Amino acid sequence: MAEFKIRRFDGKKSFWQTFEVPAKKGMTVLEGLYYIKENLDSSLAFRASCRMGICGSCAMKINGKPRLACETQILFLGDKITVEPLDNFRVIKDLITDFEGFFAKHKAVKPYLIREDVKYEEPKELLQTPEELNEYYVFTLCIKCGACYSVCPAAATLDGYLGPAAMAAAYRFCADSRDKGNEERYEIASSSNGVWRCHLAMECSEVCPKNVEPAKAVQMLRRKTAFSILKSILRW
Amino acid sequence: MKVQHDIVIVGAGLAGMRAAIAAAEKSDELSIAIIAKTYPIRCHSVCAEGGTAAVLREGDSFDLHAWDTVKGSDFLADQDAVEFFVRECPKEILRLDNWGCPWSRNEDGTIAQRPFGGHSFNRATFAKDRTGFHEVHTLYERMLMYDNIEIYPEYFITNLVIEENAVQGVSAIELKTGNLVFFEAKAVIFATGGAGRLYGFTTYSHQVTGDGLAIAYRNGIPLKDMEFFQFHPTGLIPSGILMTEGCRGEGGYLLNKDGERFMKRYAPEKMEIAPRDVVSRAMWTEIIEGRGLEGEYGPYIALDLRHLGEEKIEERLPLIRDAAIKFAGVDPVEEPIPVKPVAHYTMGGIHTNVRCETTVKGFFAAGECACVSIHGANRLGSNSTAECLVFGRVAGEVAAEYAMNAKQGRISEEFMKEEESRIYDGLLGKNGDESPYEIKKELNETMDKNMWIFREENGLKEAVKKIQELKERYKNVEINDKTRGFNTDLMMAIEIGYMLDLAEVVAIGALKRQESRGAHYRLDYPKRDDENWLKHTLAYYTPEGPRFDYIPVTITKWEPVERKY
Amino acid sequence: MGVSGWFKLGGRSIFSWAFTFQRLTGIVLLIYLCMHLTYLTTLLDKTGATYESMIALTVSKQFLIFDVLLVLCGVFHGINGFRIILHEFGIAYEYRKPLLAVALVLALAVWLYASYVMYYLTGG
Repeated sequence: MAEFKIRRFDGKKSFWQTFEVPAKKGMTVLEGLYYIKENLDSSLAFRASCRMGICGSCAMKINGKPRLACETQILFLGDKITVEPLDNFRVIKDLITDFEGFFAKHKAVKPYLIREDVKYEEPKELLQTPEELNEYYVFTLCIKCGACYSVCPAAATLDGYLGPAAMAAAYRFCADSRDKGNEERYEIASSSNGVWRCHLAMECSEVCPKNVEPAKAVQMLRRKTAFSILKSILRW
Repeated sequence: MKVQHDIVIVGAGLAGMRAAIAAAEKSDELSIAIIAKTYPIRCHSVCAEGGTAAVLREGDSFDLHAWDTVKGSDFLADQDAVEFFVRECPKEILRLDNWGCPWSRNEDGTIAQRPFGGHSFNRATFAKDRTGFHEVHTLYERMLMYDNIEIYPEYFITNLVIEENAVQGVSAIELKTGNLVFFEAKAVIFATGGAGRLYGFTTYSHQVTGDGLAIAYRNGIPLKDMEFFQFHPTGLIPSGILMTEGCRGEGGYLLNKDGERFMKRYAPEKMEIAPRDVVSRAMWTEIIEGRGLEGEYGPYIALDLRHLGEEKIEERLPLIRDAAIKFAGVDPVEEPIPVKPVAHYTMGGIHTNVRCETTVKGFFAAGECACVSIHGANRLGSNSTAECLVFGRVAGEVAAEYAMNAKQGRISEEFMKEEESRIYDGLLGKNGDESPYEIKKELNETMDKNMWIFREENGLKEAVKKIQELKERYKNVEINDKTRGFNTDLMMAIEIGYMLDLAEVVAIGALKRQESRGAHYRLDYPKRDDENWLKHTLAYYTPEGPRFDYIPVTITKWEPVERKY
Repeated sequence: MGVSGWFKLGGRSIFSWAFTFQRLTGIVLLIYLCMHLTYLTTLLDKTGATYESMIALTVSKQFLIFDVLLVLCGVFHGINGFRIILHEFGIAYEYRKPLLAVALVLALAVWLYASYVMYYLTGG
């Protein structure tokens, strides 16, 4: 038996509720939540989909740390589990938080390949060596679960801050040898909600379930942005 | 609330997003809505691992890819559709490349390909073992470039509106607020995925409950070939998480308890990379005949990757290693992975032609929820993501052409009131003594027991009876959570209603088909019967249960022959 | 979370501790700097007597503990700040753990030495 202590929210008030879940070896926190929903209290609301750590739905604060519920085993944490919604996000219901702003920030950094010379009707193979691929590959692994954003102290005090995930997405394209749109992204990155707001707590890299190293991406983006600004000043 | 768009796409996986992009490329005048019950990148397509088939290199040919697909389908595929499909695949790969997909590469910088089950050429294009994940993210990010595509995330579809055999729009619950929103549209595309959660032991995401299939079916659109359900050979025990076919494509072995590569007795030529139905049946035979390994969750087969070495596993199969360690406590570098066959793909779906058109004007279907059919009785690995891309594009383009010349759909006040009361008074407000979750559990158990790899008459009859009993009980469910905002209790209860309808179609269809073909294997009819059964099943909704009809298979170049690997 | 997000340490890594102390010491130094400047600008007598009396008061055994804490703030803020600047140029990200350890040890050493000197200056 494991004790699940869950911070719930019904749209008006927040309260704690405790459930007893029969925990077996190998059982994940997500399975525990489904057990509660199917057997104890079906009003419990949480997001989940792939249950294999790739869709990014089920990030929540488990025993004080943001983790993916689907890949966190109950018995690794002991028989007392505390589950809370992610910090830095507005709670909608129980463990479900509002991701609208998070995705809007991702969109704001132009996270797509910018290139004038490719045609929709006649696509062509762009060459890229394995080494060039490795330059950015790790940053493509972001599943947008929001764990990084929830621990970011800069995001805690500035709602508009782009945050680690969005900037990692920006850097991922800046570092892609096929991309030609860096300058556009530097402009966004150097805005007042961009790279300069990062104060290097590096907690984002610590909690990232996919080891994307968003903190590194932000620093690399900062360096690229700084050089780009410097270059434009010197030329002037 | 009412919203108007030219095209409404339901489902934001590979096919849905590809359709949105295709329609937006066609014209920037069209207003396109893409609605889905999750955020686009939380779709089930991200779980696709191994690769996407396409003819890219010297030595391969369209005819070879088509032949492999037709043979893999056990000759139930429509060959004109297959021939069209294989020609379109390479362009889709290159488009994704142009849009930023991080394809794995050869040393010279060209896109790499790997061997895959049932393909006679190395044509599975891959991005490590996260192919679907990268394709979804690439499409999603590309989609952000178009100003005329509006995304409606976390809208749960409840109904399709058809009048005078022309589509008018869809209704959906905005989960955040719990309000019903009515989308009026000139054209509607369904790309809602399969029905995998019918089964308990499955690779599917929790969200894949066949919503679109059931809604189309209830609205009188026929479902095709639903009895064909694919079982993937290698599902991780105990969760059912997919261990990609790429494991075997890269050279992994399947071993029984004697350490024997038993596939040599079933498919001497192709061995482990025979098509999935063949490998799954072989594994299940080994297990039934007592040659499986014993584990705490019952017998299993060992997937051995140790001889590949750590470097290759890290380079080609990092996700597999990660998942095996996290979910089974097994490091494939040191130990074989415990696997057994697992429900994986719905070959059947909404009956469409090669232009993704259905029997209703302005209503299109693409991806796993559609059945064109190119997969026939058994899909080849890496053809599904390819299908989503190719037919997603077709659906988007055809729908765009249609929408440019069609009049705006209208949803009547009457319908809006009815739908509102059906959901909020009829379901949410109702009292009863059945738990939807209990019904779902029993449904899963029935499917896992009677509709598994080997089927026979008595078991199928038992399943039909059980499903009909569950349908009766479902009328009496009560939803405990009576609130509106983000009511996942309500959503899951509706999903379970969808699943019951689909399960009935699958079970009766399987009972009727008295032969063994591809993934549908009848112990009492172990032979393929081309004389009587070389035809597609169509299931039509009636209030008493499905009515069945059959249509011929299109054959162009390849007459059915014995299928050997 | 607001400003409390800066000082949240439960379940966090050593890097968050470093960040929090950087903020905290920064705030302390800022307050000290304000007090320092405010006091200096009020020194109007030409004899320097007010200044002497202040020194006599502060450079003493009773005040040593405040000086030691102030130096700790300064040393930590400076050395950790230098570490942050390095990382912000995208340098040595992979060595962030050892670098933090070096910075902490260095800060501790400098602080101890400075404390010893101050202790000596105030008359042992």
